[in-house]
Amino acid sequence: MIVSNDTIITPGETRPSVHATKGFSSKGYRPLAEVLLLLLIIVFCIFPFYWMVTTSLKTQLEALASPPSWIFEPTFANYIQVLFKDNVGQSLVNSLIVAVCTTALALILGTPAAYALSRFEFRRKKDLWFWFITNRMVSPIVLALPFFLIVRKLGMLDSHIVLILIYLTFNLPIVIWICTDQFRSIPWDLDEAAVLDGAKPFRIFWKICLPLAAPGIAVSAIFSFIFSWNELMYALVLTRKVAKTAPAMAVGFMEGYNLPYGKIMATSTLIVIPVIVFALIASKHLVRGLTMGAVK
Amino acid sequence: MKVKPVLFSITIMLAVFAVATQASAWSLEEAAKPYAGTELEVVFLLRPGYEAAEKMIPEFEKKTGIKINIIKHPYENSLSEQVRDFVANGDLDIALIDLVWIGNFAENEWIVPVDKFTKNPDLADPELDLDDFFPLVLNAFGAWNGVVYGLPFDNYSGLMFYNKCMLKEAGFDRPPETWAELKDVYGPKLTKDGKYAFALQSKRNETQSCDSFARVLWPFGGSFLDQNFKSNLLSDGSQTGLKFRQDLMQYMPPGIVSYDHAETINALAQGDVAIITEWSAFYATLTNPETSKIVDCIEVSAEPKGPAGRKPALGGFSLAVASQADEKEQAAAWLFIQWVTSKANAKTYLELGGVPARQSVYKLPGVAEKYGYVNALVESWQEGVPEFRPRFAEWPQMTEIVQEWGTKIMLKEVTTEQGAKEIGSRVEALLKDAGYYDGKKPLAQ
Amino acid sequence: MLKIRHPRLTCLAFIGPAVISLLTIGIGPLAFAVYTSLHRYQLTNLRRTPFLGLENYQTVLSDYVFWEAMGRTMKLLIIVLPIQIIIGIGIALLLHKPGMSVLRTLTRLSLVIPMATTYAVVGLLGQVTFNIKYGVVNQLIGFLGFAPVNWIGDPNNAFIAICFWDIWQWTPFCSLVLLAGLTMVPVEVEEAARLETRNWWTVLRYVQFPFLIPGLTAILILRTADTLKLFDMVFTMTRGGPGSATELISLMIQRVGFRGFDQGLASAQAIILLALTIILSQLYIRFFYREV
Repeated sequence: MIVSNDTIITPGETRPSVHATKGFSSKGYRPLAEVLLLLLIIVFCIFPFYWMVTTSLKTQLEALASPPSWIFEPTFANYIQVLFKDNVGQSLVNSLIVAVCTTALALILGTPAAYALSRFEFRRKKDLWFWFITNRMVSPIVLALPFFLIVRKLGMLDSHIVLILIYLTFNLPIVIWICTDQFRSIPWDLDEAAVLDGAKPFRIFWKICLPLAAPGIAVSAIFSFIFSWNELMYALVLTRKVAKTAPAMAVGFMEGYNLPYGKIMATSTLIVIPVIVFALIASKHLVRGLTMGAVK
Repeated sequence: MKVKPVLFSITIMLAVFAVATQASAWSLEEAAKPYAGTELEVVFLLRPGYEAAEKMIPEFEKKTGIKINIIKHPYENSLSEQVRDFVANGDLDIALIDLVWIGNFAENEWIVPVDKFTKNPDLADPELDLDDFFPLVLNAFGAWNGVVYGLPFDNYSGLMFYNKCMLKEAGFDRPPETWAELKDVYGPKLTKDGKYAFALQSKRNETQSCDSFARVLWPFGGSFLDQNFKSNLLSDGSQTGLKFRQDLMQYMPPGIVSYDHAETINALAQGDVAIITEWSAFYATLTNPETSKIVDCIEVSAEPKGPAGRKPALGGFSLAVASQADEKEQAAAWLFIQWVTSKANAKTYLELGGVPARQSVYKLPGVAEKYGYVNALVESWQEGVPEFRPRFAEWPQMTEIVQEWGTKIMLKEVTTEQGAKEIGSRVEALLKDAGYYDGKKPLAQ
Repeated sequence: MLKIRHPRLTCLAFIGPAVISLLTIGIGPLAFAVYTSLHRYQLTNLRRTPFLGLENYQTVLSDYVFWEAMGRTMKLLIIVLPIQIIIGIGIALLLHKPGMSVLRTLTRLSLVIPMATTYAVVGLLGQVTFNIKYGVVNQLIGFLGFAPVNWIGDPNNAFIAICFWDIWQWTPFCSLVLLAGLTMVPVEVEEAARLETRNWWTVLRYVQFPFLIPGLTAILILRTADTLKLFDMVFTMTRGGPGSATELISLMIQRVGFRGFDQGLASAQAIILLALTIILSQLYIRFFYREV
């Protein structure tokens, strides 16, 4: 069970920091060095983002200023053009639809499986678990063309449902991995009590364990959403117009003929802002999700 | 009187004739009636010519009731998109064919020869006049093996764009006539103080094969293949050309191997480079004050000559009817293709920023004066080489080989001889596999 | 703990849907990829698809371009991973201290931003910032007195550029994982150690390190797998260029399959990559991850 200052798994239990307890004499310069370092880290993390946003507010000629200008007159022209003329607005909606639906589907399919893996005993359980996890390691390039040809044969090219289903290949493992871990950390006593009361397994799962596992489930949902939103390769290969997602759209601006930096950065900003907001809200749980319970 | 009956018959004949021609006068609206409501899918690029066509489309839709759905792609993806669509029996009704794809598309039978439609009086516009197209252009990317499949739509020639102010400052009052002059005379004088004389787009994609590699082969007497379809890159002409390019690199900006069209045009437009040889379509970008700083200094002329003559880069796209479309869609597609490349619409297309391939439009009064590149363009289209790049079905794989080693040569990772040998052996393996050497395939490029 | 043995049916009902979905969606295409890898499957010439047996695999394994791409990918991993871990530990240690909680919270929040940024966007951003003329990076190093560097046009510098962005994007991840590990050290033990010595290195090495091991192995597993998959960022920034200086393995496969249209060869390459990934992940998981 992880207990830490950053990830609150069992609510209410926090740990005091070690240094606060015993006198840790801080010399005068120490705090200053630390402050500077921390600020440096903050700037380093945020600067590219800042540059992206400011470039998106520049006109093409301004963006091509050499050396680059830091002070200029901002314009929203890029955003207006990109959202309404170039269909980026539509692609953002597509991304949203796909990410939400595939996450929902992954949760519906994955949580029962995770529960089973954590509670039930059956043969080849370990191998099954390995197989789920390995799916996440697979590179999309391996499956991209086969998917394309199969999907075309089924006549489902350029549709949302195709992406929703295909994204399960990496979302389902994430959900299963995180939730298995989460379920495992729920004490068995409640299960036992319920069994003695004569409750069916599904009821135990649904009424008792699922609510308790809410943090882990939330984490896996967040991750599933973020990875689906950011996905590029399948979207490039399998969508054309109707279901084109935002990252695929951004790449489309990279015509070798003419690089509209302002528009590209505007699209990029629009793509990135939802995920970053989402991630910031979920930042507490982020680490746990990324390591998927590997940190014990 | 004997004359009266004769006169009478003649009048009757004339009257009948007049009525007959009236009845059979072809009009777009009439021809399109059976296809109203059809929807067509086509891939367009993000380039000026296509924007011009897009502006013309509402008129077509109004006249015919046929709807055109455009899917926009960067050039880099457009081949991939279309191939995948055709392979999987997709939705595209009109094929956009780059000069180098025509062999590929034709051999795979993905496109329909135009005579299916030109022989059909219901669909064929009497004003079509195929001869009005520049023969070189029609042949190069509209026809394969003598059969015409597509009509030239988005047409380019390589032209030399230069900054006459920079040239004047260095003491030149005319652009270089030959490549040798460019390198030996203009190069040193124009390369100083952070400015460069020349920039040759050489990025590792089709740009390397076409704009960079091919451009230095033909003017020096070289070529990709000889008559037996074996590699000709070790010939004197080819080697001279490749070595010339290596030498010329000293007058180009550093990192030229990562320059694509955008970077090269920008280099000229921002005043960092004096001369470039790029596609004609960029004239609009270079003369637009929003995108160019040298609007008052920009001049155009034909590409420099080499020892083997003037062999400008040739490129362009035609539109053809896709065979995977059903009969109705094919007819509707033909009507659109015919209309958008027609003589009547050429002037509109030109005014909206496109570059038509109709000889007649450039002879109209005032056109040459208004569009500064016309003279150079017309001249270039008289002299080009259709096989500037081989257009057979194996080109997509061949261009990958040329791109890889062409850039390696420029990065000085291999010498021109080594690079030529590598390209030669791989291309020959490729062509052998395809059956060119044992007679299975005719030697067409 | 009562381990209940549930009836087969229950197990199937719970796990079945997930397994079936993954099977249908995952196995079908994989089988097709294997099929194409055993034939000549040239998209522009589908009339001739002769059975080639293992010839494609032979070609791939003896193709130096394939091994160069693998080598490049491994080179990237070997360069960036130690840097990410070392800087990550540094940041984790810095954040582990008390005081200035506002600033520390702010730092933790800003560490999230690189991790969440869409990979494709990172690449595009890379193009804009590392541009030799219009890029802000050259402007910044100019302030420090250096001449402008040709980043994207020079083979070595382009590689450095992608290393830079990988480090930018994933060091925060390493630092947060390691921070979580640091907070697992029991209070008393750490207290005692700090009483004995002021030296942070000693504390790190003997007291904190054991608790960092799980985090480090997680980082190892995930970063290796992700680097083998790395495509988006490099694709949008350099497309594999200049020449092939930044052509990682997944970019090469994409080029062969989607630009050269040789799907048979690309499938063989992809399957070899898949085999490698599975072997590596199995090794990692079985050795380091004591679970289930």
